[in-house]
Amino acid sequence: MDRRRADFDTFVAASTDSLMRTAYLIVGDLQDAEDLVQETLLKVAGRWHRVRRMEHPVAYARRILVNRALNDAGRRTRRRRELTGEALPDRFDDTDEPLAFDAHDELLKVLATLPTRQRTAIVLRYFLDLPEAEVAAAMKCSLGTVKSTAARGLARLEQALRTTNDKRSIST
Amino acid sequence: MTEQLEAEVRAALHERAAQVPAARIAQLTHTDYHPRTRRLGPPRRVRPPLAIGALTTAAGTVGAVAVIVSLTAGASNAFAGWTAKPTPPAPGQLAGARASCETSQSPISGLPLKLADTRGPYTFAIYADSNSSAACIKGPSFVAVSASVASSAVNVPAGQILLSTSHQTDRGGDGYSFADGRTGAGVSGVTLTLDDGTNVQATVGAGWFVAWWPGGHPIKSAELTTPTGIVNQTFNLSPEIPCHLAPRCSSSVSDVGGGGPAAGGGTSVSGFASGGGEVQSGSVQSSSRSR
Repeated sequence: MDRRRADFDTFVAASTDSLMRTAYLIVGDLQDAEDLVQETLLKVAGRWHRVRRMEHPVAYARRILVNRALNDAGRRTRRRRELTGEALPDRFDDTDEPLAFDAHDELLKVLATLPTRQRTAIVLRYFLDLPEAEVAAAMKCSLGTVKSTAARGLARLEQALRTTNDKRSIST
Repeated sequence: MTEQLEAEVRAALHERAAQVPAARIAQLTHTDYHPRTRRLGPPRRVRPPLAIGALTTAAGTVGAVAVIVSLTAGASNAFAGWTAKPTPPAPGQLAGARASCETSQSPISGLPLKLADTRGPYTFAIYADSNSSAACIKGPSFVAVSASVASSAVNVPAGQILLSTSHQTDRGGDGYSFADGRTGAGVSGVTLTLDDGTNVQATVGAGWFVAWWPGGHPIKSAELTTPTGIVNQTFNLSPEIPCHLAPRCSSSVSDVGGGGPAAGGGTSVSGFASGGGEVQSGSVQSSSRSR
């Protein structure tokens, strides 16, 4: 096996876990997330001769993934409607019955309803713990846009958390 | 509140991310993403159509109804990772393909899985019962499902194969062809030879065989492994459905090789969907051929 090929395989082994979990948090569906990761890695493989010389190949892969996720968001929605013949179900709807007033569950429910850009900003910032500048690079937007987008998403999540806490205090 | 909120969001995200099964990640890790070094098939005129060939048997005819549903974008990356010989499935590959293929609205819903062919990241599965069959190809960026309904029993002579083949092209212009069908008694191996000399080894089992390849080269012959040795069948395949008859051109053909009598007609209905997921009703064509 040549060196370039071995390097790529090492890259795949090291980055797939993070890419897949990130994709899942953004699109909310395992199958869609797998497709997204495979498309990303195929694209990286086709350009590996250049990508391997980059300082952070995984950042490049993440940029492809995010770009694809943002561009495909409308298409995924349409596809689901056609397949099911009904309105798009809530994302993350494959989980067990949530515990009553579970804060994380409420947060995730609200996260699933956020616009894709807001959800992506939240995931990159708080799941991957990327600095805002890197989030901006991944989303191909300005630092200010990242800040305002994430802030709007966080505000929605904060509201959900407050509601959950209110319910919790009432029940106890 | 902000720090607490951020901590809660972090915890919730990690909790959710931890639910991704390790097997799904392992499957992705073990997929071959390397581009093929040789692209098969000449650049063809872009044909966005999808079609399924009608099956013709020596005993009679089989009407075929095909519905193609392409679930995601057609970006195929020239079918990177395709191999001329079937490869062992990566962990979870079959389960993932089945999950995509067996949706509630799919024409294959309820049909038992007969045979699955894996080539790199691609899975081609055949589902069938006594009077209908369906095929599903799952790749990294697309899923195509087709179905056919037989109007009479399919009888395949021992040592021969019944072949149905079709060419499809996604909107990205990357064409691929597939062949599937029934094997007669004693056939344990099928290797197809395309008109450019490329050999494509089929997956064989449960009375079926399956193969597909990038590009539009038709099948010229098949080498069958039988108890009496290697048997060659030759085919003379050509498109039967005039492309100008539908907005989305289709080509399909069916044949029984081996020089045996093969005559009759078939009816095919093709549908097409791609990229955006729209589904269009297709044209209906009747065709007949004799040899």
